[in-house]
Amino acid sequence: MIPIGLSFQQAPPISVPFRFFLTAPLFLLAAAALLFAQGPDLMASRHSAAALAATHLLTLGFTSMIMCGALLQLLPVLGGVPLAHPVRVAWLVHAPLVAGTICLAMAFMSGHALFFHLALGFLSMAFGCFGLWLVGALRKIREGGASIQGMRAALAALTVTVAFGLILAAARSGGLAIPYVPLSALHPLWGLGGWTTLLILGLAYQLIPMFQLTAHYPVRMTSRLIPALFLLLTGKTLGAFVPGSAGQALSIAASLGLVAGNLWFAAVTWQLLSRRRRKVPDTTLQFWRLGIGLLALSACMALLPELMDDGLPESWLLMLGVCVLPGFILCVIQGMLYKIVPFLTWFHLQSAYPGLGIVPNVRDIHARFHADRQLALLAVAIATLAASSWFPQLARVAGLLWMIHAAWLEINVLQAAHIFRRVHRVARMRTAH
Amino acid sequence: MTVDLTLDVRDLEPPEPLEKVLEALCVLEPGQRIRMIHHREPHPLYPILQREGFRHDTHFTDDGIFEILIWRSPSR
Repeated sequence: MIPIGLSFQQAPPISVPFRFFLTAPLFLLAAAALLFAQGPDLMASRHSAAALAATHLLTLGFTSMIMCGALLQLLPVLGGVPLAHPVRVAWLVHAPLVAGTICLAMAFMSGHALFFHLALGFLSMAFGCFGLWLVGALRKIREGGASIQGMRAALAALTVTVAFGLILAAARSGGLAIPYVPLSALHPLWGLGGWTTLLILGLAYQLIPMFQLTAHYPVRMTSRLIPALFLLLTGKTLGAFVPGSAGQALSIAASLGLVAGNLWFAAVTWQLLSRRRRKVPDTTLQFWRLGIGLLALSACMALLPELMDDGLPESWLLMLGVCVLPGFILCVIQGMLYKIVPFLTWFHLQSAYPGLGIVPNVRDIHARFHADRQLALLAVAIATLAASSWFPQLARVAGLLWMIHAAWLEINVLQAAHIFRRVHRVARMRTAH
Repeated sequence: MTVDLTLDVRDLEPPEPLEKVLEALCVLEPGQRIRMIHHREPHPLYPILQREGFRHDTHFTDDGIFEILIWRSPSR
């Protein structure tokens, strides 16, 4: 197999991804502040108003924000398809996503139907624009590798997630009678296990071998796992609506398949990372290891509710949620972010000012992040949050730790943006003389 | 034309291969050549080479690696 190179002539301006990367930590900070303010009340139930608000600040404001920004940057580069009107598309996705996330959090906290309606409008616009752009871009790519396949599946999963979310929001704001229990379980399943995880898989196939200098993922995994997981999610959804023991059997079989698939990905990724060619310390590798470890733990934990008839305590389900979202997903996204942000800063400067000798190298930019210390803080913050599922009196401590973590992340992305602006200014002064 | 500098960048993560070759280009004299060994094709490098007045010749070898020969364009 001939390795695929990146086509950076197609890259959109740096302002396109950076507006998403600079905004996302602020929503993480808002979620942490909510946890700090609400304390044990937030950890009482996954369905408490504050828990739902904090969860959506994370899933929409942080995770989806970064994934949209990363896709707007990476799809033209990975697929070799230029992004038409990149700044306009970025505006049309970013602004309503910010507004919709704020409105939805306020809707959960206040219960006012108006905020739900506003959130529905803004989020429909954000994901509608993003989906239309993504469909158009993916149609232009003739030869789709495993990463492109992951993006297609992630887009389909996002559509299902948003559809379920809109129905739930319409029901919560009053008037619409729906089967609330299955939908409220399927919405996060498609959001976390579909849209987020399938995209992470697709990107990992490309980014892990490239940035961590590992062997490629086995073809039997890259060609089969993402379609298999998508089918299993569909099976799980059908199982929720088919009455009787047939539906239950379908649901359990799909869950077992999902657990096995995620464990397979975790095991192969761990093995690849352990055998990478370059044995120098790299903090982003540790972000990946922590994330992958938490994915394996979450997959094992998710088995138990399927196998037990009596149901599990709410604390168990809360801890499972912590291991998946602030655990696996946030660790892996941050591992990617700390590779992509210095790389983009360097690349855009190097492309603009190749001969001036004023562009700092990637290692210099990365060194300013003190990512190793931040990883330690993140691990403690995840552990404290997981513990507060059982001991809610720890919730405020967890909130404080997450606030420090989020502020630190924001400062790091701001530092990269500051370096870009400073070099840009110096270069303009030099060329003017 | 003989090869004057060999850059084996297979064990470097992006964008270090690009950083290394750009450093080498700065000191490349007319008539000298760089042989870059890479495990993937360095597409981002090509427009930079063209803009800065260099030529290149890329081979994909049987060993599954890319060999990129780079030299200064005689017309520049």
